[in-house]
Order: sequence, then C-alpha cells, then structure tokens
Amino acid sequence: MSEQFTRREFLQSACITMGALAVSTTGVEKAFAASSTSTPNSSGMPTCDVLIIGSGAAGLRAAVAARKKNPNLSVVVVSKVMPTRSATTMAEGGINGVIDFSEGDSFELHAKDTVKGGDFLVDQDTAMKFATYAGAAIHELDYIGMPFSRDSKGNVDKRYAGGASKIRCNFAEDKTGHILTHTCLDDALKNGVKFLMDHHMLDLSIENGHCEGVVLRNIRTGDIAPVRAKSVVLATGGYTRVFWNRTSTPYIATGDGAAAALRAGLIFKDPEMLQFHPTGVCHGGTLITEAARGEGGILLNNLGERFMKRYVPNKMELAPRDIVARSIETEIREGRGYGHDMEAYVLLDVTHLGKEKIMKNLPQIRHIGMLFENMDLVEKPIAIRPTAHYSMGGIHVTSLDTMATPAPGLFAAGEAACVSIHGANRLGGNSLCDATVTGKIAGINAAEYAAKAGFGAGKRLNDLTLKWTSHFKEITGSGKGNVNDMYALREELGAANWYNMGIFRTESKLLALADKHAEFQARYDAIRIPNTNPVFNTAYTEYVELGNLLLASRAALMGATARKESRGSHFREDYLKRDDANFLKHSMVTMDEKGQMHLDWKDVVVGQFKIEERKY
Amino acid sequence: MKFIIDRFDGKKNYQQTYTVEKKDIEALTLLGTLLFIKQHQDITLNFTASCRMAICGACGVRVNGHSYLGCDTKMTELFEAYKDADTFRISPLANYTVISDLAVDWEPAIENLRKIKPGLVAKDKFSEKEGCVQNQEEYDRIVKQWDCVLCGCCASECNKLSADRSDYMEPFVYTQAWRVANDSRSKDPMIHVKPAVLNGLWNCVHCHECSNRCPKHISSADDIAGLRALAMKKGLNSGVGPAHAKSFYTDLVEDSGRLNEIRLALRTEGVSTALRAGTAITLMRAGKMNPLEIFGGHTIEGHKDLVKMIEAAKAANKE
Ligand SMILES: Cc1cc2nc3c(=O)[nH]c(=O)nc-3n(C[C@H](O)[C@H](O)[C@H](O)COP(=O)(O)OP(=O)(O)OC[C@H]3O[C@@H](n4cnc5c(N)ncnc54)[C@H](O)[C@@H]3O)c2cc1C
Ligand code: SF4
Ligand code: SF4
Ligand code: FES
Repeated sequence: MSEQFTRREFLQSACITMGALAVSTTGVEKAFAASSTSTPNSSGMPTCDVLIIGSGAAGLRAAVAARKKNPNLSVVVVSKVMPTRSATTMAEGGINGVIDFSEGDSFELHAKDTVKGGDFLVDQDTAMKFATYAGAAIHELDYIGMPFSRDSKGNVDKRYAGGASKIRCNFAEDKTGHILTHTCLDDALKNGVKFLMDHHMLDLSIENGHCEGVVLRNIRTGDIAPVRAKSVVLATGGYTRVFWNRTSTPYIATGDGAAAALRAGLIFKDPEMLQFHPTGVCHGGTLITEAARGEGGILLNNLGERFMKRYVPNKMELAPRDIVARSIETEIREGRGYGHDMEAYVLLDVTHLGKEKIMKNLPQIRHIGMLFENMDLVEKPIAIRPTAHYSMGGIHVTSLDTMATPAPGLFAAGEAACVSIHGANRLGGNSLCDATVTGKIAGINAAEYAAKAGFGAGKRLNDLTLKWTSHFKEITGSGKGNVNDMYALREELGAANWYNMGIFRTESKLLALADKHAEFQARYDAIRIPNTNPVFNTAYTEYVELGNLLLASRAALMGATARKESRGSHFREDYLKRDDANFLKHSMVTMDEKGQMHLDWKDVVVGQFKIEERKY
Repeated sequence: MKFIIDRFDGKKNYQQTYTVEKKDIEALTLLGTLLFIKQHQDITLNFTASCRMAICGACGVRVNGHSYLGCDTKMTELFEAYKDADTFRISPLANYTVISDLAVDWEPAIENLRKIKPGLVAKDKFSEKEGCVQNQEEYDRIVKQWDCVLCGCCASECNKLSADRSDYMEPFVYTQAWRVANDSRSKDPMIHVKPAVLNGLWNCVHCHECSNRCPKHISSADDIAGLRALAMKKGLNSGVGPAHAKSFYTDLVEDSGRLNEIRLALRTEGVSTALRAGTAITLMRAGKMNPLEIFGGHTIEGHKDLVKMIEAAKAANKE
C-alpha cells in the first residue's frame, strides 16, 4: 500500500459511495470502481447526498452550511480547478454589509442603494432581505477567521464603493476576495467538506421535473461518469468570458452552469445584463479595482481633464460602474483618449495619494500595474479601459429564502444564479456578499431537501453520460484538426460580442451579431481537437467551455435584442431611455430540445422604494 | 529561442523542444509564453492557469530547476536572470505527483492542510453574531502569511520534501498552521501546533530554499521556527522526541541557525521517526490526543470506511 493509496482512499471513500457503474463505457468504471469501497446501491451509480458544483465563495459556503445543517449527509464539492483558483480569489475591493450603524447607515439604505444601482430591475423584497443577511455575513466571516483590515477600535474596517450612499464596503487590504476564499476553504476543511477537483460538470439531468444528478468528467483520467445526487447546488460563477479577452475574470468564467441549465430546460434570467468595469488595464483587461477610486484615484483624459465632472459632478469617479464605464468610452469615442482602436485608453491617477498609502492600501493594484503595463502607480498614472466584469444574469432562482430553481433538488448560488439582487447593474462590493449569503442559503436548503428526498432513477443521466462519452470520441478521436481553430474562434467570438453587444448596443449591431453567432456555431460544430489523449485533455475542456460561451452569448443576445430600452449596463443607443412601462421586467430565456431559444418576461417585484429616474 | 518542456502523457515521460521567435514572446509573461505555445504550436501541451494576475496560485512551474509563478514572471526577467540564454527548460513543480505535463496533483496537499486544521476556532468571548475584535498590532502579526496563494513554489524547492516526503508536509502547510495559531482571535494555538508537530514540524532542515522562491515573499522556514518556539513554550518539551527537538531547536534558533552536516544526516535518517512517535505517545498518554486525529480529526461516516482507513494507515506506516 502506498501513501497515495491512503490519501485517495480516505478522500474518496468518505465522500462518494462509488458503486460499480451501470453505464458501461470504456474506462469509466475503472476510475470510480477502483476507489469503490461500499456495496453498490440499487442502481449501481455513484451517489452523494448534496453535490455542489463550484468552489468559489458560493460553493464553499454552501458546503459548510449543508454539513452544519445535517452532519449525516455526504457533501462533496466538485470543481474543475483547485478550490482556490476561482473568481472569488480575484476580488480586491471589498464586501458590502452594514455592521456599523453609528453614522446613520441601515439595512434599508443598503437595499435602497442596491435597488437604485440596479436601475430598478431589482426585486425589492429580495434586496431588503439580502442587505440584512449581508450585515450578518460580515460578522460570521470574521468569526470563522477572515482577517479583515481593522479600524482604530479593532473592528472591521470599511471604505467607499461606487454607488453607495454610506461607507459600508468592508475589506481586507486590497485582497478581500483572496482572503475570503482562503477563509472559506479553511472553514470547509474544518467542517469535513470533501473535494473532487479537476472534475468538470458537463451536464445536469432533470427527469420528470426533478434534478437527479450530473455528468462529470474527471479531467485527470478523461473518464466521464454520472453521479446521482439528492440535491445539487450550481455555484459555477459567471459567463463574462463571452468577451474573451476583454474581461477581468479568470479563464474559468465560462458560464458552464447557466449553459447546462439551459440545456436541461431551465431558465436563464436577465442574460443580457453583463456589467462592464470601468478600469481594466489597457492590455488584457485585468482589473484595477474600485479600491483605487475608493481611495481617491481620479480619471483623466488626454487634455488632463478630470472628465467625470461632465457626467456625474457630485459623485465623480465614485458613480456606479456602468456610468463610469460609458463615460470613459464616450471620452475615447470623442477623441479625448490616448491611443487608437483596441489600444485606446484614458488615465487613472493615484499618485497624489502618496507612496505610503498606495503601498499600504493598494499593493495588489500596484503590482498589476507593474506586471501588465510595466509601470509603477506610485510614480505615474496608469492606462485603463473598461472591461467586462460581472454577470448579473444567471440561472433563475425562485426566491432568496431557498435559492431553489423551479426544478426540485436543484439550487443555484453566487454569480451563476440570478435571484435578482443586482438587477441591471451590480454595486461594487455586493457580489462577494451575494456569493457568501446565497451560498449559505442554498446549502441549508439543499441539505434540508436531501434529508427528505430519495435518489432519482438516473435513466436520463445515463443517456446523457453516453452522449458525452461519444462526444469526446467524436471531437478528439480522429486526432485531426488545426491547433489554432478553436482559439481563433474564441477570440473572434469575444471581439464580435464586444463590438456588437458591449458597452454601446444598437438594433443593427445586435442583428448583425445574430448572423455571426450562427456562423460561429456552425464553425464550432465542425472543429476537431487534435489531441486523442484522455488524460488531462485541457483542449477538450476548453472546447466544451467555448460551446457554453456560445450558448450564453446567444441567450444574452436574445435578451439584449428584445429589451428595447436602456437600463443599467444594458445601454441601447437607439433606445436611450429607460422604459418602465414596457420593460420593468426580467427577461427569461429558455431553450427547447431542438436548440431553439425562447424568451418570456417576468415582472419585477416592487416594494418600498419608489421607482424613479436614476440620477446622480 | 528554444523551450525544452518536460512532458508526461499519463504513461510516459519525455522531453519536447519548442522553437519560438523571441519577438513573439519577449513582451509576455512566462504564462503568456506557455499559452502562446499551446495555442499556436501544440494543443496537447498541458498546464494550469486561471487568474493571470498572480493571485490564484495556479501557474507555478519550474524554469531551469527553479520555481516561478508563470503569470507573475516577465520573460525579460528570465532573460536577465539567465544571462540571455536562448534555451530554457520548463518542468512541473518538484515534490508533487505529476498528472500531465506541467499540471500536478494538489489533492495530497489539500489533505495535508486539512491535518493542521486551518479553520479558526475563535475565543469564547467572540461570537458568530458580533464577530471579533483585533487591534492593528495583532493583525499585522498574521497578515503576511495570509498572502499565501497555495502556488506550491516553496514545496517545489524544499530539500526535506525531496529527501523524504513520507514524514513531512509542504512548507506552506506549516505557514498556514502558523498564521492561525498566531492569530489573536484563536482560542488555542495548540489546535494547529499539535498536528504540525505530529506531521513533521521538527523535520525541516532549515535550508531556507522555500523562503527564497516564494513569489509572495513569505518565509515558511521562519513560520516553522515560530511554530517550534510555540510548541516548546506550550510544553511540548518533554519525552524522547522533544529532547531531540530541544537540542535541534537550540541548534537552529539560538545557535548558528544552521545544522551541521552530521546532525542533518542523523535527523533525516533516523531521529525523525523516534521524534514523531515519542511526541505522539506523550500526547496520547496525557490524554491530549485522539490517535485518529492524525487523519484530520473530524467525525468519520461509516464504520466500514473507518476500519478500512485504519488498515490503510497501518499498511502505509509499515513501509
Ligand atoms: C478581478 C475581480 C475583482 C472583483 N472584485 C470584487 C469586489 O471587490 N467585491 C465584490 O463583491 N465582488 C468582486 N468581484 C466579483 C466576485 O469576485 C465574484 O462575483 C464572486 O466571487 C463569484 O463567486 P462564485 O462563488 O459565485 O463564483 P466563482 O468564484 O467564480 O467560482 C466558480 C467555481 O465554479 C467552478 N466551476 C465552473 N464551472 C464548472 C464546471 N463546469 N464544473 C466544475 N466546476 C466548475 C470553478 O472552478 C469555480 O470554482 C470581482 C471579480 C473579479 C474577477
Ligand atoms: S527551510 Fe524547511 S521547509 Fe523550507 S525548504 Fe528548507 S526544509 Fe523545506
Ligand atoms: S508560501 Fe509562498 S511559495 Fe509557498 S505556496 Fe504560499 S505563496 Fe506559494
Ligand atoms: S494564473 Fe493565477 S497565479 Fe498565475
């Protein structure tokens, strides 16, 4: 017995009771059966009580909550990467949540800012509950070990974030997300959560309306297998990589969850609501976060003007993201930027803050400046340009109380979900607490559900598994294809989406994009990957992800085309006004068996906050 | 320019040479170069990356034997460091099991982290409802170690791990044990110190290679020294093992800070086993330790699994 055996055995035996597999496809049984320790269950498929897909803040919090709710349940977190490689790790600015009421801040004000920032596409009852939970979440994170930066009294320190009427963005230097992820991982380990990393969810199966499990590909071995679960939580993050190289998010943000939900007949809500962050580094889109502006950074055009005074004089750089992003693009379009075309930019200046403050509060940002633009923020302003940043849209969830989708047994959380907290535009600092809060709620409810439910029959799951097994063979089996076909298509998709469905949208651009998407899809289907090796075939992973991006792009386009108004991040130059009479509602996109997409609408829940024009 | 990359396809190891124009890569990072090769020359080349901004820890690889964080290393830096060499050798991190090409297996490391119980157990005066309080000084004491991104560069360089990994863990595991043990909010540092001691703390040979290569400038070697001091202070200082430990500690911390060769050999060969067993027995006698804690200490579901694991552990121990 090798040491490796001990660890593997420990990990896998304690988490998934892997039986011999019913699906008889080459290689599959080997991977799971080799580590099988218990007698096969009735159907012979691997099972687990609560299966969580994704290991960002949402997934990790869901896992801990499920374990705490019911320690008798097996809870497994599946992630296509190591747990700490998620988007959550990249967040810098901070996490919203009211914990200090001394300056007149309140949960209601937080909710109000959220609703207003979201350009009233927010369900107001949800926003109110969310604000309350967000406050509690900060204390809880502190209690489980998160080292927040501290104020003079030793309490959690906070800074301004865009669109907020009070200072309530709690932070840990400018590494809040990194520190949050590691805190959540520690807590998950402490609570006995088990991980299956390097496992890619390919699809989820809904049979008779119920979720019965997922198809997983073990990236390490290439084995594709069904896993039945009593409940599944999708915490797969966002889909901003539809703009491939014009985004701040990691390579993994490919909307796998939303795409799988679409294929399973579920609803993709508000897919057109993609947020652009105003300040990505000019080369590559990596983020210079809001913290830079929160600390007092200013934006300058090529005339040396602090141009935000033209757009939002009372908020300046601290106006919500969509407005700042459009202001920058307008400056560039009207010739007041530096450089040309894709290389155009404006400047972000923090030099006046002084070296000490920059080193203490913005070290990460400074580092990024060095890495991507080869310059020191302490000495010079940095070249920036807007970059896609967050997906407000996501898998439709019926209520914040449960984070349940309409399919019993299926839950969603974090950026992958849309329970309508952020509406048409998310406030800075609101998504880390979204992931933390909704993850926990999803976990609790998934555990509650699993305790009562049984396993599904798994028939459809079987079929899906077979489909994916032959898909792998078909795409890679011949060994034919060009190295660059897929990567070129990915870049083209990103650029086409950016130019036609980016910060400024018009009918004609969107219609042109629809044709492009059709062409891209045809090219995609014809691509073959010249790598026949099933072991760690990352090219195949990327191929599957690109397919998901195409699907997410098509859904976003459908919403963007139908929404003939401008609201939040969705800005139509041909319909400049927000149109509450016709569009105070969520777009609900579904896909039928033939791959045809359909659009429906759902009214926004209005509550105590009066719908008004969004002015700053 | 040539890049000789160490490859592994799941069955066999081999080397492959890629030729690229310098102008195509000189403005890139090391990760950018790997992406360039994968996307233009060889789609079968495997490595991992996610954030491309030096925070997710995914892209650690070795260049000419030394570990680097790919996205945090500009090619110009490498040209400078290796005096304009026109050939670079790229390999996966050392001291990890390679899954494919430059991608390595993190599962054992995660299980090692689990052993030191990285989750904070807060003092009784704090609560989930109100959170904690911590002053600046206390915060400053732990914040450096929180920079660790779990990239594995330190582990790749660790001489102790290379010599014998059976009684040792990745340097960052000790760093994380230290960061939580040293936290003013923590109820009892020994929750984390004990498993560190039981899992090789005294086996570090203090070569400081880990500290030299950490892209976040963390010194696991120092953190290990800190943990040792804490262990001694808290009374893990009697019995056979700790006696050795004490002299070892004197050697390192109070003396020259370096081990002499003979002691080094002695330690890596034999003493370590005695040390571990000694400490463990002392702890068990004192009723302070549940022997099962070596597995991570949480409740284990299913009797059968439990028996199986104990058997497996025994078997592994015998080797
Ligand atoms: C640069 C940057 C800065 C940010 N700054 C802030 C900030 O200051 N404040 C704030 O509130 N928010 C910020 N955000 C947003 C915030 O970080 C994210 O919205 C949030 O962390 C999302 O968390 P999540 O758990 O939903 O998803 P993620 O953290 O994205 O995790 C998704 C997980 O799902 C896994 N996964 C995906 N698909 C699959 C699949 N098919 N199979 C298996 N696993 C899969 C991934 O591996 C990953 O583990 C920032 C984001 C970025 C990119
Ligand atoms: S000092 Fe210790 S932990 Fe660091 S590399 Fe040397 S032996 Fe390994
Ligand atoms: S201590 Fe440094 S080198 Fe080691 S894993 Fe952490 S960041 Fe990487
Ligand atoms: S890709 Fe995340 S650290 Fe390099």
